[in-house]
Amino acid sequence: MIRRLIRMLRSPSPILLAYASALLLFTLVSLYSPGFASPAHVSTLLIVAAFTGIVALGQTMVIVGGGIDLSVPWVLNSAAILVTAFAGGSDAALLWAVPLILAGGGLIGALNGTAIALLRIPPIVMTLSTNVVLQGLLLIGTRGFPPPAAPAALQYLANGRIGPVPVILIFWLLLTVTVVVVERLTAFGRYLYAVGSNRTVAMFSGVPVARTTITTYAISGATAALAGILLTGYSRQSYLGMGNPYLFTSIAAVAIGGASILGGTGSYLGTVAGALVLTILSGLLPIFRLGNGALAVVYGLVILVTVSLAAPPVRALFQRR
Amino acid sequence: LRLGGWEAPLVVLICLVCLIGTLRPSLFTMDQFAIKVAAALTLILVATGETIVVLRGGIDLSVGGILSVATAVAATRGDPGPLESLFWMAFILLLGGGIGMINGVLISVLRLQPFLVTLATWSIVEGAALIVLPSEGGTVPGSWVRAGYTVFLWLPLPVVLLVALLAWWTWFRRTRLAASIRAAGSNERSAFLNRVSVMGTNVAAYGLSGFFAALAGLYFSIQTGAGSPTLGTQFVLPAIAAVVIGGTSLLGGRGGLAGTVFGAFILTLIGDVVFLLNLSSYWQPVVSGLILMLVVVITSLTDAASDQTGVEQ
Repeated sequence: MIRRLIRMLRSPSPILLAYASALLLFTLVSLYSPGFASPAHVSTLLIVAAFTGIVALGQTMVIVGGGIDLSVPWVLNSAAILVTAFAGGSDAALLWAVPLILAGGGLIGALNGTAIALLRIPPIVMTLSTNVVLQGLLLIGTRGFPPPAAPAALQYLANGRIGPVPVILIFWLLLTVTVVVVERLTAFGRYLYAVGSNRTVAMFSGVPVARTTITTYAISGATAALAGILLTGYSRQSYLGMGNPYLFTSIAAVAIGGASILGGTGSYLGTVAGALVLTILSGLLPIFRLGNGALAVVYGLVILVTVSLAAPPVRALFQRR
Repeated sequence: LRLGGWEAPLVVLICLVCLIGTLRPSLFTMDQFAIKVAAALTLILVATGETIVVLRGGIDLSVGGILSVATAVAATRGDPGPLESLFWMAFILLLGGGIGMINGVLISVLRLQPFLVTLATWSIVEGAALIVLPSEGGTVPGSWVRAGYTVFLWLPLPVVLLVALLAWWTWFRRTRLAASIRAAGSNERSAFLNRVSVMGTNVAAYGLSGFFAALAGLYFSIQTGAGSPTLGTQFVLPAIAAVVIGGTSLLGGRGGLAGTVFGAFILTLIGDVVFLLNLSSYWQPVVSGLILMLVVVITSLTDAASDQTGVEQ
């Protein structure tokens, strides 16, 4: 047991490292600014982290499968605008609007995945085009009219608390458990890692490569849409541009979480830690009176550093004989 | 007619010009031509750098950030004298080139996928642009804006710049460097075995891409008289689209600037067609995105067909 612990500390898994850095960062900031660790502030941070975490869920699947999804911002934004427009402020309409929008997000993801898996179109080009097309369609569709406020049920889901625990946190926890089970115990999970680590080998081993790839993008579309729906509850409205920050944060969360961006490794558990790290970082801004520019610089640096640590030449440096 | 060359985009461009001509015949004047060149030049410049990177077998997303930071620096210089102006213009261009060269070094040393490195630098550089110029606006020096109206031999500045760019390319494409970039782009391994430097070609390609993105930003801010710290985001996809529509292969090695220039004009003229058809201007990105998807699907299908015929049974 102790020997195992020592071995773990000597070459820690990326996931453990991600949680350790989240904890370290949180402790340091709390020492500097004691209000940071107050229960109210912590629960706000967790709510914000949940949105990044939910968008990054699909991004994790796509990246583990060896791709990338740059269509996240406007899939999220489309879902947000549509849910407020469909519901018109009433909870009853959510019963059909939410499933419809989630299916729509999944369908757009599946279209991305189909073009990437079957037509061999580079993921960057395909998903970036989808992003721009959706952005344009949304601008045409809304014509500058702000949709009505978010229905009360969504506001409760995003801002409400059961006792001291935010509702969305429970939701996120359930989602995380589900994803980990899917990753570890289902055929799709095994296929996913096989496709991500080596497409050709996977194909010859009888893995349904195309179907697996398409599914990852469909999940990404659906989780982006889900985050968009929940986000309208958090901000009590939908607006154009609300998805833009999630392009970099979703990828950064996955990178921090230890998924080799080259595919084949990683787990959503790591991404959850990544979302926490990013949220703590964004919480630094008001403390140090920094603007959005500084945040973008920090996000970029974080992506660059974590991705460099996973790069083959750097890994070779750390490997012991 | 060969798909994946510059001929197909030229045909599409001619069809577009004819379409616009029938919709509004009064548009065929020298002045209108100059206006179109001025409108397309920012995209042409960014796409020039992107073409070189794609020929090298990579992709450069950081052009978005570099464009933004170039306009941000240009719009916060106050009222500099002539020497100071020259210094700052050179600074902007070298800054772009320098950021690009860093991209090239990181990609080669870390052996990472180009889109990851340039995605990270895009975020960093765009953040820097927001720090330099926190909101849209600022003021580009009046002397710079006036210089933008310079006319050489009846030719306005944008037309002169385009001619200069094409002249530069006809020289550059025959250089050893261009040949090495192409070779490394089509097959890095065999290029390496033929003593082509992987790092050298990367640094040169991404450096040039950064330089051209900065030039595009400088040109745009002189044209509009203002800066925008988020401008670049609007140009990332169109730049890649112009390259791809222009027939340069995303697999590297094949293509050139002529097609890219046609591609950039096609994307610009789509905006005109949208306007002449009385549609909302928001249709332009939608149509451009759909055309890009169509072109990549067609090229991937024709590539697959030629792959199948090329394989020996």
